[in-house]
Amino acid sequence: MPEISYLEAIRQALWQEMKRDERVFLLGEDIGRYGGAFGLTHGMLDEFGPERVRETPISEATIVATAIGASLLGMRPVAEIMFMDFVFLALDQIVNQAAKMHFMFGGRTNVPIVIRMPGGSGAGAASQHSQSLESILMHFPGLKVINPSTPYDAKGLMLSAIRDPNPVCFVEHKILYKTKGEVPEGDYTIPIGVAEIKRPGRDITVVANNIMVMKTLAVAENLAKDGIEVEVIDPRTLLPLDTETIINSVRRTGRLLVVHEACRTGGWAGEVIASVVGSPAFDYIDTPVRRLGGKDIPIPYNRGLEKIAIPQSSEIEQEIRDMVEGRI
Amino acid sequence: MTKQKERNKEKMEVDRESFRDQVSRLKLKDETLIGLYRTMATVRHFELMADKLYAAGKVHGTMHLSAGQEAVAAGISLAVRQDDYFINHHRGHGHFIAKGADINLMMAEFIGRDTGYNHGRGGSMHIADFQSHNLGANGIVGGGIPQAVGVGLALQMQKRDEICICVFGDGAANEGVFHEAMNMAALWKLPILYVCENNKYGMSMDVERATSKLPIAQRGDAYGIPWACVDGNDVVEVYEAMKTAAEHVRSGKGPYFVETITYRYFGHSKSDRNLYRSREEIEDWKQNRDPIMRFTKHLLQSEILDEAQAQEIDNQAEQVIVKAVEFAEASPEPDLSTVLEYVYA
Amino acid sequence: MPTPFIMPKFDMDQEKATIISWVKKEGDFVKADETVLTVETEKVAIDVPSPASGTLAGILFKDGDVVPVTQVIAYILKEGEALTNLPKADSPKPEVDSTPQAAASPQPLSVNATPVAMRMAKEEGVDLSKVSASGDRITREDVERFIASQKDAGRVTVPATPAARRVARESGVALEAVSGSGPRGRVQSADVSAAASSAPSAITEVNGREAEVVPLTSIRRTIAERMQQSFHESPHIALTVEVDMTEAENTRKRFNLQAEKLGQPKITVTALMIKVVAWALIRNPYINASFNGDSISLWKDVNIGVATAVSQGLVVPVLKGADRLGVSEINMQLIELADRARESKLKLSDVQGGTFTISNLGMFGIRQFRAVINPPESAILAVGSAVRKPIVVDDQDRVEVRPMMSLTLSADHRVIDGVVAARFLSDLVTGIEAPNMLLF
Repeated sequence: MPEISYLEAIRQALWQEMKRDERVFLLGEDIGRYGGAFGLTHGMLDEFGPERVRETPISEATIVATAIGASLLGMRPVAEIMFMDFVFLALDQIVNQAAKMHFMFGGRTNVPIVIRMPGGSGAGAASQHSQSLESILMHFPGLKVINPSTPYDAKGLMLSAIRDPNPVCFVEHKILYKTKGEVPEGDYTIPIGVAEIKRPGRDITVVANNIMVMKTLAVAENLAKDGIEVEVIDPRTLLPLDTETIINSVRRTGRLLVVHEACRTGGWAGEVIASVVGSPAFDYIDTPVRRLGGKDIPIPYNRGLEKIAIPQSSEIEQEIRDMVEGRI
Repeated sequence: MTKQKERNKEKMEVDRESFRDQVSRLKLKDETLIGLYRTMATVRHFELMADKLYAAGKVHGTMHLSAGQEAVAAGISLAVRQDDYFINHHRGHGHFIAKGADINLMMAEFIGRDTGYNHGRGGSMHIADFQSHNLGANGIVGGGIPQAVGVGLALQMQKRDEICICVFGDGAANEGVFHEAMNMAALWKLPILYVCENNKYGMSMDVERATSKLPIAQRGDAYGIPWACVDGNDVVEVYEAMKTAAEHVRSGKGPYFVETITYRYFGHSKSDRNLYRSREEIEDWKQNRDPIMRFTKHLLQSEILDEAQAQEIDNQAEQVIVKAVEFAEASPEPDLSTVLEYVYA
Repeated sequence: MPTPFIMPKFDMDQEKATIISWVKKEGDFVKADETVLTVETEKVAIDVPSPASGTLAGILFKDGDVVPVTQVIAYILKEGEALTNLPKADSPKPEVDSTPQAAASPQPLSVNATPVAMRMAKEEGVDLSKVSASGDRITREDVERFIASQKDAGRVTVPATPAARRVARESGVALEAVSGSGPRGRVQSADVSAAASSAPSAITEVNGREAEVVPLTSIRRTIAERMQQSFHESPHIALTVEVDMTEAENTRKRFNLQAEKLGQPKITVTALMIKVVAWALIRNPYINASFNGDSISLWKDVNIGVATAVSQGLVVPVLKGADRLGVSEINMQLIELADRARESKLKLSDVQGGTFTISNLGMFGIRQFRAVINPPESAILAVGSAVRKPIVVDDQDRVEVRPMMSLTLSADHRVIDGVVAARFLSDLVTGIEAPNMLLF
């Protein structure tokens, strides 16, 4: 199976779906000749033309609104918000409009749009271009929020997202763009709302998203040498969250750690922990339930500071050790 | 008196003389004109009934009534096609009715019943009828303006000849998305007829205090969009302007912007105590510039209708509303067990 | 009858009001709802209306007095009434609540507390007899203080993870008996599993000599701490009497014949003992007391703990209100408590609230022994076995063989002097040797 990058995997999904379904088109800033801020739409203008690879002025709210309006007439737009940080400019259309239209209109219309947005720190882009905001998006019923961590997941989930009749926020991570993995060439989908146990283990359940999945898997490899078996769960979709998989895992391991790059306070780890601790898995918890999140600071510019602003592999490893070896 | 008021006064005087000429030039048959009258009467009665229902405690929440603005709704509906798309604002009962909504279903939605257009989930501010291309009212001021860009875009990409009429108020014209949308609609030459229903007030703020340069429609110049500004209380005037605009838009030349100067009698919403305008002003518009009264006068003078016939049509319109209330009140509430439905498709 | 004029409550948490001034005076005619006086509460000045029309009389408080709410401050006399037909004594009515109390003991018969304090005590399940009043009545602050102190006193809560608790429930292991290997002594599920499978403990070397090292369980740790505290703080004196059990035995046998007919379980010696002890405690309140440093609490309830050996050590389930229970009730409760203790199912409320303890080692043939007082109590009775001995039974020096039982009272000399202890024991002996006395 060919190995391609996370970025290429998403492009592949868009490309293949645009070929398969002429209702699908792209909207966003600089996605045409420029190929997208991260190069994700490279080559697509030549293939599909300016109508379907439609560059817009810098008008995030109207980019999303255009997607909404077009979807009411049966189109399947995929809109891009260049940096996740800019989502705030479009939040009225995402939250007050897209998320609620199916409900407010008594189920009589659908808003089948996908809004892609890359977030995440590590590129030295500083406070206003490095945030992880998926925790906020989870709060709006009517939306779906997807957050793939691998190229394989990215392609399969993008195809599902486009085909889903609901508005979907597709959260990417700019540092993951370059990571590579095996991705089938043909058509396949991954169901939305289903978590994946990326690595089974008996000693502790660690739930992580996007870049933290990678870090945690590497840490797990290391810990395995010392006989500590870590079960790593990637929710893949944050809304709706697959709490069942997580609860069942905690029943087996008795320990839960949630790791995310997003700021600790108000981060989605709270949601996971509340779901687990309030469930029947409670009776199987044998260690205090913990979480590691980004420090409660905007992402700094300085490289050293930027690095330590989010959970480090060494911290993840130490936390797991402390939990499993009974020091917490 | 402001420039606007002067212009209006002038127009009114000119109208009285040229009504017959105007309708014959526009090829408007008698039945059509009577239809306009009926539409406006229906809208007026709906709004009056809504107010009564609220006072009687039968409608909860709030409502935004458009009594006084009937000519805009009626005029537009005559000028465009049945299958044209409509994006509306929260003061949109008139537009729905003019577009041919089922008043029973509207009324049922109004009082939150399951038989309403939105199964009682939306209420007055979120009524929509997708079957008839009525894409819904919006509770966010200006929320629909950029969505019209999407509708126009889809129509263009699908190579259809329907157009999108997007109605918004004078207050919405100052939202950021108004400017984003005008720009993109013009840029891509989208088939959108933007209508600004300038009823003089945002919520409580006089349009002259909120807008740096009037008329609002002249903002079209900034975006290369042709525009017009008309007396919104002259239904034939509105019709003519909208017809011109619709033709332009439908021909693929891009968007058009029509501003209609009108007035609302009721407050912004139910909690509005009209502290920002005087009784005299409201009375002046009601007595001297009411769109239905003006039109009726024309019809009577042109002997298209006599008093008795006019009254009869008015009564019939009222009856339609009364029946709608009966239907709505007899309708069931949504089953509480369905509370979690309709969140996801 | 004259209408009592009480100081009304205007606020949920109000306990008193200060009289600012009487608007009407003694002898004035007042109409119902007419303002009679002005008072001040914590928040505001309020006009107080008359509850009825009539003559204002019998004013009991003056300007500036601080009056508890619901206290009678005056009377309204109708035509022909006089102050001589005053209604019965006016202790403030406690607020009556028909919902049964879930917690500890029923309300004592006469506790002097403000209505607010009583309500709070009822809501929080506090036994007002255990609360000391800072003034002449127990106030809300007193109750709050008590609640705060209870949070720390004598709680047997074992820090254990949810998983540990589940395993303990499932395997019937008492958490108190498990030694916790987690941080801060927390019991982990593995600890419970190990205890359940009773793995043999390793023999290790301690200071050069072999020993089996047994980790301290929660229960043993608690006993160790409390016995040490008791010995350290209370100067123990011990007094012994011997009591002739003949009458008691006869009474018991007679009773048990009836018990069989009634289908009730037979009563034990302990049950009878508890009854007599309770009676004696009522007569000797200083034995049923606790030392508070600068005061002594003479408990109104008689809650007798019975020291009970269980596999993990010693537990003391408490019989609440023993003075108000009949012997058969005492007996039945004893049986229940013993069962629960054996199955490690004692609830916290079962072991709390004791005012006196009885320890009986008679079944092991121990004739006499001294027990350690169970803090915060002031005395403990050690009961030995009944031994048939020859004793002189009358003043003609006639000797008979009688079953003689030794009772030793250990008492805290800070509270109980020798003579006081002696009187208690003397009452005990009287009660045991003539149990019918208790009927009268």
